[in-house]
Amino acid sequence: MCGIAGIVYKDGNLHNVGDDMTNMLHALQHRGPDSAGFALYGGLGLKEDEYILNIQLENTDKNLLRKVQDQINMISPIESDRLISTTENANLYQCKLKLDDFHMLKPLIQQVDNIDDSVVVINGEHSFSMIKDVGSVLDIADNYNTRSIKGTHAIGHTRFSTESGVDLYHAHPFQTYIIRDISLVHNGQITNYWKVRDPLERKGHVFETNNDTECLVHYIADKIDSGYNLEEALEQSVEDMDGPFSYIVSTPNGIGIAKDKLGLRPGVMAETDDIFAIASEEVSLGKVIDTSEVEQIYPGEVRVFEI
Amino acid sequence: MADIKEIDSSTITPRELNKKIRLINNEYDKIVIKNPGAEHNLVAGIVGEGNIVIDGSAGYFAGTMLDKAKINGNAGWFVGDNMTSGEIIVEGSAGDGAGQGIYGGTLVVKKGVGSRTGEIMKGGTIIIGGDSGFMSGIFMMGGRMIILGNLGADAAESILRGEIFVLGEIESLGKNAITIDLTDEDKKCLKKLLTEYDFNLSDDNYNNFTKIVAESSRPLHGLE
Repeated sequence: MCGIAGIVYKDGNLHNVGDDMTNMLHALQHRGPDSAGFALYGGLGLKEDEYILNIQLENTDKNLLRKVQDQINMISPIESDRLISTTENANLYQCKLKLDDFHMLKPLIQQVDNIDDSVVVINGEHSFSMIKDVGSVLDIADNYNTRSIKGTHAIGHTRFSTESGVDLYHAHPFQTYIIRDISLVHNGQITNYWKVRDPLERKGHVFETNNDTECLVHYIADKIDSGYNLEEALEQSVEDMDGPFSYIVSTPNGIGIAKDKLGLRPGVMAETDDIFAIASEEVSLGKVIDTSEVEQIYPGEVRVFEI
Repeated sequence: MADIKEIDSSTITPRELNKKIRLINNEYDKIVIKNPGAEHNLVAGIVGEGNIVIDGSAGYFAGTMLDKAKINGNAGWFVGDNMTSGEIIVEGSAGDGAGQGIYGGTLVVKKGVGSRTGEIMKGGTIIIGGDSGFMSGIFMMGGRMIILGNLGADAAESILRGEIFVLGEIESLGKNAITIDLTDEDKKCLKKLLTEYDFNLSDDNYNNFTKIVAESSRPLHGLE
């Protein structure tokens, strides 16, 4: 059991998305106590060629940090950086850099990852802030000052771990570097995982974990990269995935949800003139939107809202 | 004058709320729960003749095993799960598994519900004012379900006994489910029941219902 949530402000302007998503996820804390995460879109304000790397360092050894900085500087000069403490007292190193091509990001991440076992790149981002960690929603929100972040839309997750480890790296959202700034949160299990993953690996997708959510985000990115729009990709996923699932995908333009054909995982939505919101349960929607007209997401159904 | 007790649930947990209601249930004609906030398990496991109003939305398992409740908002999954008698009325919509396994009583949801409504129900009545989703009435073993909207795919999958009345479209029937004509007695019963719960249909509507029943009461044995 996990909790998932998504919100879009229909006017496309910046709103208090960090605060709203924190409240939505806090209401879903009972669905997953292990870790939580946010993908908050629209507020970073980076230029077209600017990216942010989030890197976990397991110790505060200055030589280790210098090695990481040197590795990055060999590819592109670091423009700015900072160190943040994670909820487990590790260190999150965050730096901004420029890349001529988005596809340089994944090789750079791999090079940094290979420096040492104590260095793990959490993600590279352009139009969204990925915040995820072990612990409770409120602790994470406080630690990363999540409530202050503004944006146009967001997705989030509270995790009850069933299939893989409880650590920062396995916390949702997951993303991929096949296309830029796609992220995904998931409640459920993909039971034909290897059947989905094998063809993607043969096409060149590189997987970092054995987590089925990572497989889902690769699948959706692959479909969009092949010319599907978000709605078509989600509809095709309902045909191709086995198991109980409901998941929310976010792109820089909006969010969408897909639910398995047997309807074995929950999903509800509500919509006003200003907001489109999705969550595992109404208790989450009620934190951000009038819930007098809540709609069920039916088995096999897909709902999308793009700005 | 009715003796009514209001409880603000915004400052206490559902467990504390239920404990409190259990203690005072027989002292008041009606208990009104304010600010329910769509929390789970509201008034669940309270067996008896209480008359409880949830003034807003409830989460999962609302009213489980209770005899009389009214929810002035929506309800999450499994509203009225295992109810045995009395009535639960939801003014809004409800999630999956509404009325799962009920033995008796009447569950009324004024708007639509999710999937698997009335799963393994053994008796009682479920009335849905809107649509009901996929596999509603799966493994139904008794009782009566009335759907005023459309019914999703694989309706009444593996039904053994009981009956489902549908006013809208049926996407598809499940195994062992067949449709038959309504009798005049069926129409009379429907009208009486629906009028009682303020669903005022025209006389013509009662000719438009479809009735779903089991083809065989022992489909798994291949014997009749």
